[in-house]
Amino acid sequence: MGKQAPSAAGGPTRRTVLVTALAAAGGVAASRLLGLRDLGQRRVASALDAAAMDPMADAMTGDEMGMPMDPSAIDPTDMPMAAAEPTPQPTAAPAAAPTRAPTAGQEPITGVTPPDLATGLDWVSPLDKESARIAHLLRRMTLGVSVAELDRAMSDGYARTVARLVDTPPAEPPVLAAAENATGSAAVKLGDLQSWWVDWILKSPTPAAEALTLFWHGHFTSDYRKVGLNNPFMYWQNLTWRHMSLGKLADMLYQVTIDPAMLRYLDLLTSTGRSPNENFARELLELFAMGVGNYTEDDVKAAAKALAGWRQPQTQAMVDARLAALAKQKKPLPSNPPKPDAVKTGVFEPTRAFTGQLLFLGMAATFDARKLIDRILTSDATATFITRKLLTYFATPSPSASWVARLATNYRRSGYETRALVREMLLSPEFTAPETYRVLVKSPTEYTISAAKAVGSQALTRTILSSSSGLGQTLFDPPSVGGWGENANWISSNTMLQRANFVSTALGQMRALPPATGVENRLLDGVLGPRTAAELAATKDDRRRWYVILASPEFQLK
Amino acid sequence: MREVGINRISRREFMKNGFVFAAGAAGLAAGYAAVPDVFARAVYAAKKDGVMNDKVLVMIQLAGGADGLQTVMPLQDSRIRALRPRPSAAIDQALPLAGTTLGLNRNLRGIKSLYDQGKVAIVNGVGYPKPSLSHFDSIRVWETADPTRRQVDGWLGKTIAKNYDSQGHPLVGCACGTSEVPGALRDLEATLSVVNGRDTFKFNGDDADRVMGAIYNGTPGIYGALFDTSVYTARDTIARLRTARERYTPKATYNDNLNLVYSSKNQLGAAMRLAAELVISGVGAKILHVTLGGWDTHDQQLQRHDQLMAYVDQAVSAFHADLTAYGMADRVLVATWSEFGRRAQETASAGTDHGTASSMFIVGDRVKGGVYGEMPNLTGLDRDGNLRFTVDFRSVYQEILASHLKVDAREVLDAAYERLPFVKAA
Repeated sequence: MGKQAPSAAGGPTRRTVLVTALAAAGGVAASRLLGLRDLGQRRVASALDAAAMDPMADAMTGDEMGMPMDPSAIDPTDMPMAAAEPTPQPTAAPAAAPTRAPTAGQEPITGVTPPDLATGLDWVSPLDKESARIAHLLRRMTLGVSVAELDRAMSDGYARTVARLVDTPPAEPPVLAAAENATGSAAVKLGDLQSWWVDWILKSPTPAAEALTLFWHGHFTSDYRKVGLNNPFMYWQNLTWRHMSLGKLADMLYQVTIDPAMLRYLDLLTSTGRSPNENFARELLELFAMGVGNYTEDDVKAAAKALAGWRQPQTQAMVDARLAALAKQKKPLPSNPPKPDAVKTGVFEPTRAFTGQLLFLGMAATFDARKLIDRILTSDATATFITRKLLTYFATPSPSASWVARLATNYRRSGYETRALVREMLLSPEFTAPETYRVLVKSPTEYTISAAKAVGSQALTRTILSSSSGLGQTLFDPPSVGGWGENANWISSNTMLQRANFVSTALGQMRALPPATGVENRLLDGVLGPRTAAELAATKDDRRRWYVILASPEFQLK
Repeated sequence: MREVGINRISRREFMKNGFVFAAGAAGLAAGYAAVPDVFARAVYAAKKDGVMNDKVLVMIQLAGGADGLQTVMPLQDSRIRALRPRPSAAIDQALPLAGTTLGLNRNLRGIKSLYDQGKVAIVNGVGYPKPSLSHFDSIRVWETADPTRRQVDGWLGKTIAKNYDSQGHPLVGCACGTSEVPGALRDLEATLSVVNGRDTFKFNGDDADRVMGAIYNGTPGIYGALFDTSVYTARDTIARLRTARERYTPKATYNDNLNLVYSSKNQLGAAMRLAAELVISGVGAKILHVTLGGWDTHDQQLQRHDQLMAYVDQAVSAFHADLTAYGMADRVLVATWSEFGRRAQETASAGTDHGTASSMFIVGDRVKGGVYGEMPNLTGLDRDGNLRFTVDFRSVYQEILASHLKVDAREVLDAAYERLPFVKAA
């Protein structure tokens, strides 16, 4: 078949290489689809060598195995590079983490053989099949795929599944009393807060809401270190982000501004009209809504003034704890005792606010928080910024300019209905185009949750959380106000070791495992690299097969 | 078809860049033959000509805000007795530093002995402008070397990213005795190791190491090479640690059985032993980081602080003795840091609140021993009752970077600071 279907490079097709390697491996002949895509002319020789090393490499061809031909594997016009838009992959990932061959010339003290790098080869997209598109959708939008979710989505079809994911209101997690009642004398434990969320992610009937909450947690970020655990604010923030996850952008930005955890995290609660603190105002413009370069330093100063005057709320428990502490120290109670607030948001104190005209984004007016946000939404930059962020997180590290522009325009026209934006993203042909296949690396949370879902366990919370810091993502503790990194940033020697060890620990926690036969089709679309396929074929024991699948490079990708 | 060609070129550019890097590293490695010492394998980590040396840095973080005035004490200043009657009782047992009016904490006997041998620099009054009294903020300031708190990358991480091939040499930057990457080591462009225990850095499960090596080979896709290289690096590191175990037997006693009343849970002795092992066995370590918590002495400071001092003293002394026994004490600099010192005045519960300037210790055979920096004046406290700093902490970083590691300090610190010449000229 290689002869009938010359690759764009004019040489042997990658498909031939892979198919023959797989045929030799045997045992995965049921895989619906597999293969590598030729990404360029380099490394072809070494890939051929790899296949040639196998004594059975020429024994069979894909056709003989009865595998359907994937046109995208051989038709150059259908390859990622052939798209009219600049190809999404090559520019983004390498910039963050240049790929390097292991350094030559090291003293061979370890005896570990360096790998052959297949830099020029890509996965063959199976996304021309509806079933693969559905699995792709669930991997991106539901933090992994359980058997039940997949079965339901397969019977619903792609479009109805999108509608269900987007239109079903988020299911509420159970109340965490320890967080709700947290005070200076009874702080909520970080581990309890994390367990509460991870437990819920594993159980929630609306996993898309959890995926979006995690997304917003990284975007409108706050961390427990600065916010503290002696209040319910990080917990409330999680609830708020879930509620608003597909809301109107104006409402979302307002809730972010007056969120008690955010008031603490970015110092807005210390900001007064007389002495404004720029921290939140700057990040609102730079990281949350517009992106750098779309406003001036004077706009930051004006926004800081417009947003001044908020204080954090007090719960009944916080007030009680404060009075008890005073009593314990035998100090007199204040003549004007503190009162709890009825709201779970910041409280506006007009006397601390700024009064007067401001010039903000070219408009002179008196601004409060809502009016300031409305002004931000008049800028074209805002819709583009949010759209691009969503697309790079859920679809591809480099969405095409035309896709961003189309969605951003419609987002703005819809009155910034985030639900409409997400719906349009998922229904765009670009979302399931071949070049979006396996171009995103699962974050640690996505990886561990998707592994737990794959083996059908809701009892791995402890294992997930004890692995999280080693994997580089601790919930409620992002590394900076910029949130977490993505894709290549998650991959290092240490994190790959930790990912593999998470799998062995998680599997060790489970007394019984579901059968591992055919799992590569359900979880990995049957698209396996030759080495994974060979290892899987040589592995008979279910537990070990699960290890190969969950620790594989294929499963690191979403 | 034209687009195909264009995009393939960009793909190839990416690949070429990757290979160019590898070729550069190989070029450096070619110089290896001239460096006979096993220990000097660390030169492989260098990606710049100028930084090919065998020097190693170990930073010890004293987390929680370690009090300076109960560490390096002004013996003849009566105001300290008035400001903090209870913690200042430590002065009665202080170890006087000859030729100065200062004394070291009674439990720093080992460090005092090294000081007397000219191997310890004590830098007083270290701080920064507009100090933050928040642990969170001030740790970040020290980690990123940026009091304005706009930097994200840690100063050690940045040093690694700019000077060493950490992807190929994961032990170049290593946090010992923890499971998290400390902020100072963080940099998106640096590969770092976090080795909690030398025996736990491995693929769990029989056959797991082999399986990982087998399946992370020729991985397709845009992340394929990165995946494969990372897994290879992990397996290589594991093998190196195994080698380290074979090559190293401690020649000093590390002890974590001090029965601290306020245990910080950190196993400083074990962490320093691991650091010594990585250095001595020559597996390519350049910058190591260990942490000891428990310094936030809002109450009962006299006893707590003294106990922690003993813990530090023992770990640092054992580490130095170990390296000396292996003939490597002239290659390694150990430096302590903490996010801030503590308030001059004591609290009602015989402790102290968060403060500002404090003292740092730099220990090693290449140190030009002595006292650096002026002790802050106890009559000139700031409006919060805190010491005014006399030495910018970035001056200390600068000397470590420029004179010890011999890298471009300005590239890491973005500016030049007053020189504090506590490292001997090579």
